[in-house]
Amino acid sequence: MTAPLKEAGVIRRSDDIAMGEPTGLSRGKLGIWWFLASEVMVFGGLIGSYVLARIAAGGWEEAAAHVNTRIGAINTLILVTSSLTVVEAFGAVERRDRARAAGFLLVTVLLGCAFLGIKAYEYATEISHGFLPSSGPFWSFYYVMTGLHGLHVLAGIVVNAGLFGMAAAARHWPAVSHRVELAGLYWHFVDVVWIFLFPLLYLT
Amino acid sequence: MSPRTHGGPSYVSIWVWLVVLVFGGLAVAYLPMTRGTVLLLVFEIALVKATLVARYYMHLRGEEPLIYAIAGVPVLLAIGMVLTLVPDIVFGK
Repeated sequence: MTAPLKEAGVIRRSDDIAMGEPTGLSRGKLGIWWFLASEVMVFGGLIGSYVLARIAAGGWEEAAAHVNTRIGAINTLILVTSSLTVVEAFGAVERRDRARAAGFLLVTVLLGCAFLGIKAYEYATEISHGFLPSSGPFWSFYYVMTGLHGLHVLAGIVVNAGLFGMAAAARHWPAVSHRVELAGLYWHFVDVVWIFLFPLLYLT
Repeated sequence: MSPRTHGGPSYVSIWVWLVVLVFGGLAVAYLPMTRGTVLLLVFEIALVKATLVARYYMHLRGEEPLIYAIAGVPVLLAIGMVLTLVPDIVFGK
């Protein structure tokens, strides 16, 4: 019964998968949101600990003044833009436009690489000026939070690069659509985490 | 032409707002205001940016209530952890 609708593009693959599930959601979508919930606890705990430690100790403004706000802002713009490109990739998947989906996934990967490259340059500059994870509580939190976030960006790059490869190869294209949506949710979450890390570490 | 966010504004228009808010947050941080006011404004802007991404790019607008429950509970727990410990931190010095 759903086959004609699916062929006509009225029913997406993710909707198709969700049919018959008690929750009305596809298992993949449910799984990625459970995963993101656990990630909220990881980053929420870390950010909460940073806020509490900063309130308790005070006087971290001097250390925080040494981070490069301009670089942080550039990286924020890069991640925000990559969120646009990954959601555009999802939009292209919904329109069954394989070339555009692959293109937007590639741009997302490149923007993720640019973010990590700039972050590596920032780390190198800070370390060369003597600001190490052992230089004080602010720097300990700074390296842990941005380092953990960077690992998440790296994971997102790997996933999006894999999806780009699948989208570029026509025979893997049918398996891509639902995965782009799930990978996009993860990538947006990584963006949201940075949206809070930026003011916490660079603007206060 | 950019596709629309499942019936809402276009993805590109959301991106424009996000870029404007990034520069807005930077501008606020350098305005001659009390530290408390700057902190309040900077984090309000961050909250608006996060809401825009979640609502329009993650398509939380119109999502199933179960997703809200899964995503909302850990957020409340994380905020609750901070609020529960603040009295010890602020008044327990």
